[in-house]
Amino acid sequence: MMPLSAYLIMSAILFSIGVVGVLIRRNPLIIFMSIELMLNAVNLSFVAVSSKLDSADGQMFVFLVLTVAAAEVVVGLGIIVSIFRTRRNIDVDEMNTLRG
Amino acid sequence: MTATQLAFFVLAVASTASALGVIIFKNAVHCALSLILTFLFLALFYLQLGALFIAIVQVLIYAGAIMVLFLFVVTMLASETDETELRDHIPWQRWVASILGVVLVGVLSYLLFTGTPVGGSAVTTGANSLSHVVNTQGNTQAFGLALFHGFAFPFEVTSLLIVVAILGAMVLGRKA
Repeated sequence: MMPLSAYLIMSAILFSIGVVGVLIRRNPLIIFMSIELMLNAVNLSFVAVSSKLDSADGQMFVFLVLTVAAAEVVVGLGIIVSIFRTRRNIDVDEMNTLRG
Repeated sequence: MTATQLAFFVLAVASTASALGVIIFKNAVHCALSLILTFLFLALFYLQLGALFIAIVQVLIYAGAIMVLFLFVVTMLASETDETELRDHIPWQRWVASILGVVLVGVLSYLLFTGTPVGGSAVTTGANSLSHVVNTQGNTQAFGLALFHGFAFPFEVTSLLIVVAILGAMVLGRKA
């Protein structure tokens, strides 16, 4: 059995990779993927702590995060597609107005 | 080094490499495939931690459903996604962000090692503990019991969230 800190550090590394992805990429689709990566990093630490505390509560949180992530992807991709329809351009640096 | 440790380190290196692939690859389809690989490695981590149901859900929902949605949109916008990477308005942003990422790993690890250790009296024991329920009733049963006994209200609120998301997607997706 690995110590809990090993899983938590793994989770910290994946979370930071997601943060860097959000900061350096210009493509909103890849920014979305980086956000999914951060959510998954947090899920890993939830499952690790749940296993360490011998309680199912952490797994419940993972289940709820999964649902929120699915809802977020549906709405977010819908927004990206509708921005692409009106502007023919999905560079995040260009998206500085709310007008269509 | 035991087999568990070896498996952990192989998985750790593989998932870090595939996660780096998500933010390094130029082509958005390669990024999406790399992310699917990361999700599969995370499912293996969950298996190692004994969370069988979460591992299966991870593969079915995340690596399956959510990433299929992503790939649909990536292929739909494929003509646009390669070009946008060329226009970089702030050239130093990449290096500063990478350095800040390393700093973030350092700070999080520092906090993990200096914080109060998890465990002690917080560990559930006896008939309520997860391992006991898993051993007597099974993994999915343990998950379902915990979900519908302690988390029934959040579970019901989740259905409201999904309805709102479906309505939002329909509003955004209809022909303007």
